[in-house]
Amino acid sequence: MYNHILSIILFTPLVGAFVLLCIPGSNKTAIRWTANFFGFLGFAVSLPLVSWFWAVKSLPGFKFMEGAPNSWIPTIGAGYYLGIDGISFLLIMLTTFLGAISILSSWSAIDNRVKEYYAWFLVLQTGMLGVFMSLDFFLFFVFWEAMLVPMYLLIGIWGGPRRVYASIKFFLYTLFGSVFMLLAIIFLYFFHHAQTGVFTFSILELYKTAPLLPAVYGPTAAVLLFLAFFVGFAIKVPMFPFHTWLPDAHVEAPTAGSVILAGVLLKMGTYGLIRFSLPLFPAVVHYPRLRLAMVTLSIIGILYGALVSLVQKDMKKLVAYSSVSHLGFCTLGIFTLNTLGLQGSVLQQINHGISTGALFLIVGILYERRHTREIAEYGGIGTVMPVYATIALIMFLSSMGLPLLNGFVGEFAILQATFLARPVWAAWAVPGVILAAAYLLWLYQRVFFGKVENPKNAALPDLTPRELATLLPLVALAFWIGLYPRPFFAILDQPSKEIVEMVEHPKTYNAAQPLKAAQVAQSAVESTPEAVR
Amino acid sequence: MPPSSTDYVRILPEIVLAVWGMAVMFAEPLLGPHTSRKGLGVFAALGCLLALGATVFQAQPAYAGFGFYNMLRVDHFSVFFHCVVILVALSTTLMSLDYLPAHKIDKGEYYALILLGAVGMCLMSSAVELVLIFIALEISSIASYILAGFRRHSAESTESAMKYFLLGSFATAFFLYGVALLFGATGSTNVFRIAEVLNTSAHIEPLAYIAVALIFTGLGFKVACAPFHIWTPDVYEGAPSPVVAFMSTAPKAAAFAVLIRLVIDTASPNWFWVIWVAAVLSMSVGNLGAILQSNIKRMLAYSSIAHAGYLMVAFASASNRELGISAAMFYSAAYAAMNVGAFAVISHMAGSHERFSSIDDYAGLGRRSPALAAALTFFLLSLIGIPITGGFFAKFYVFSAALRTHLIWLTLIGLVNSGMGSYYYLRVIVKMYMNEPRTTAPVPPVRLGVGLAIAISLIATLWLGVWPNAILHYTQGAPTILAGK
Amino acid sequence: MLDALTHIGTLHYLLVAAILFLIGMIGVITRRNVMIIFMCIELMLSAVNLNLLAFSRLWGLHGQVFALFIAADAAAEAAVGLGILIAFFRNRTTVNVDEVDLLKW
Repeated sequence: MYNHILSIILFTPLVGAFVLLCIPGSNKTAIRWTANFFGFLGFAVSLPLVSWFWAVKSLPGFKFMEGAPNSWIPTIGAGYYLGIDGISFLLIMLTTFLGAISILSSWSAIDNRVKEYYAWFLVLQTGMLGVFMSLDFFLFFVFWEAMLVPMYLLIGIWGGPRRVYASIKFFLYTLFGSVFMLLAIIFLYFFHHAQTGVFTFSILELYKTAPLLPAVYGPTAAVLLFLAFFVGFAIKVPMFPFHTWLPDAHVEAPTAGSVILAGVLLKMGTYGLIRFSLPLFPAVVHYPRLRLAMVTLSIIGILYGALVSLVQKDMKKLVAYSSVSHLGFCTLGIFTLNTLGLQGSVLQQINHGISTGALFLIVGILYERRHTREIAEYGGIGTVMPVYATIALIMFLSSMGLPLLNGFVGEFAILQATFLARPVWAAWAVPGVILAAAYLLWLYQRVFFGKVENPKNAALPDLTPRELATLLPLVALAFWIGLYPRPFFAILDQPSKEIVEMVEHPKTYNAAQPLKAAQVAQSAVESTPEAVR
Repeated sequence: MPPSSTDYVRILPEIVLAVWGMAVMFAEPLLGPHTSRKGLGVFAALGCLLALGATVFQAQPAYAGFGFYNMLRVDHFSVFFHCVVILVALSTTLMSLDYLPAHKIDKGEYYALILLGAVGMCLMSSAVELVLIFIALEISSIASYILAGFRRHSAESTESAMKYFLLGSFATAFFLYGVALLFGATGSTNVFRIAEVLNTSAHIEPLAYIAVALIFTGLGFKVACAPFHIWTPDVYEGAPSPVVAFMSTAPKAAAFAVLIRLVIDTASPNWFWVIWVAAVLSMSVGNLGAILQSNIKRMLAYSSIAHAGYLMVAFASASNRELGISAAMFYSAAYAAMNVGAFAVISHMAGSHERFSSIDDYAGLGRRSPALAAALTFFLLSLIGIPITGGFFAKFYVFSAALRTHLIWLTLIGLVNSGMGSYYYLRVIVKMYMNEPRTTAPVPPVRLGVGLAIAISLIATLWLGVWPNAILHYTQGAPTILAGK
Repeated sequence: MLDALTHIGTLHYLLVAAILFLIGMIGVITRRNVMIIFMCIELMLSAVNLNLLAFSRLWGLHGQVFALFIAADAAAEAAVGLGILIAFFRNRTTVNVDEVDLLKW
């Protein structure tokens, strides 16, 4: 099991989806139990990874590698090749964890075509996990594109009134982004061939040739390729000018869909920036103008997202725009290009998954009871649903970055790293934190405080045990990261160092002397330490 | 010197198909007027299977090479297209088993025409002699003309047949005129001899330029690439759905084979820009046109124009033989698989007199018949180019071939087009899953024939998308042999 | 100059063929009666045949054989074409292409 843990984690949800297809659609209870079983199983099989990974966390390179480069379609050099480092490890755990919780949260919210819903959800899980595990560009792209379809259907079939528009917008945006990415991937693939005489999509191999791009084709070509990747990732994150699909998709998606969308899907963009944009284009990200542009977009995202959140009348839309703001911090952390910034960025991604996931659940719980998300419809919920109000308060505080809770740790690390890189940038980003406090507290005040003005709110039932079960793990995690983040930093330490090292001193093949195929194959073997394989 | 037995093996698939086709013709009048012709259909399907077996047999290295006095040539290339054509013919036959009685056109000639048409298309892919290419092209075209008008009591169907016939023979005339000029310019009707003359002589006759343009015009009509595409939507809309499945894939694949042998393999003068322009036009016209359609068959007709454009991208990159030609081969196979699948679902849904062929008729199909909707969704996703389908890998392969030969602009235009194209396929998926059904009438149950046809296409599409390696390897073996004299 | 007019060479045949082909093509494009369009296509095929025969003077028998095949094919096409035309006429009672309009472009 140790050697195939990644494949097991990857395909458990897919197996679940196939099992679900065999159950007759009329038996909704059986379907729900099975889906929850597989949702939980997906999380359970990822648990052994925690202790195993902890043991090897400070070893260099990728761990738990599986498959081999060029093993899938040898003719073109694509392989089934998996492996993780600390960054992908955390994101994988987040995915399985949030997946289980979202499936649990859909129990009563989804009553229409239950079977298809859960099946697609589990397929989506596999797609997202695959993105975080792939060490082969082709495989990565396959997962990246393949998870579009389930998400599209989740929004389009089980979403709100404007679901068709939102789902198509989501699909087209992401598709356009990935089209350019595909172009860049193929280009790097041929570039690798030109340098070494080997056709391969192995990311580890491309790491060694892609940094030579500016030297061979000049800076302009390198910048264009960087931008091709960037557009694909920035749409997914979403960074400022590409964010317009996000509010629509979030507002229309069913609750569980929003949780996964915010919690995991957006992280695929930031993950891509860390895993690909930085190490593949080390020279390009150092170009002052380009870096400034990236940082500016991040800061605009932070401030713009926060300001737009302030004026929202719809709770879900508010949370959606707050995501734009929070993800702005994550991208800002990435483009500080130092270890602390990267650590903070990844940690903040995890935090955002936890807090925003929880916020969407919280909004969803209220929506299930009242079928409206208008803030003005509420008021005084605190007296009607005290347990709910307490948990909501904790998660609101976590999202705005109060000390002792998770959000603080990540944002602080990012701001500190930004300050180290360029104090001015930090100065621009800090108002984002203050604005977050403003829009979240104001929202909390309007919904929970005061008297119950609307008679429809007078007799709302408090949380059911199932709902409590979805929220409590998130609360626990929020406190854990807030109080004792050291293990997380310990896990992120090694990969962040490696990425910064790759950005500062890229290890490449010598451009002047193309390597022979035998040497390349040799180095591919060497790059996998025996102890880890 | 009489032809040797090896020569006969080299046309064994064609012999099987022709004999089976004639047998069906002979059996037809012997059956009473009220007897079901399903038996003939099954018999025809059997013939296809046998022909497939014959193709596999023929694929042994011992039979590779020229046959019948250099009239045709068996190689990876021809075997590959034989398989595509025969599988399409098989699926079409299977999906017609229940379509024909439902539309009261249960006639044996139908199956005979499909088999005989397949003979022509198979010959097109192995012919290396202009006379034979021409005759094969005509066999396949004439069969298609009749098939398009097979619902002969329907005004739409006969109108579609007439348009197809008039424009098709118009195109043939262009093709022939080009062939005649090529003969005049090079003094030979053998493709390899022509290639030799064109490549070795220092001075290329101006006639050759005109000839290539005319030949391209003629074949452009057959493969429905812009600007010779105008007949496509009309003909596809009017013709019976299984026939559209057949003629939108098999004759196209065969015509592409001819295009490769005749225009690209001879390294004809100036082919590159002609194809570049045709590719850009086809992709753009096809995708823009499809967005406006409300009839699903018309929409897929425009989509087929767009896909012809993607294929042209592969041709444009044929300066790198190994990649370009194998990409084109792979793409024709993947397109055949997914398009036949989509039309299998459509022909099942069509209802009597093809009443239900508007996109609106697919509203709520996800609820009315989840399996059919899932199958159609899969084929549409493949047409968009979403991973794990053959369509994705084919597109990927085509565009990487184009980038390899530094056609950056063409690749960009193609990729943007393929992103744009996803919109109209998505519209059908939206209709099926996100809209309420217009009628409560149950979808007719899926019979064995259609089911098998859908299953074949599904497996083929999935196989091409998940394990493309073997086929890719095979196609990459083709161009090198093709180039060898 | 006079020689070019009095002595009939291959080029003359080709020119006649080209003119025939053009006449046929223009006929197909401008005529409205399906029968006449059909005849114009036959005219184009004749032009091709003339071409092939003319080239046969230069390159040998291939062209003549080809021309025979084209003649045979034209007959087959005519048979099928007229069949389709009759089927169409039964449905619509017209042979005017302006009225062939059920399927809009």
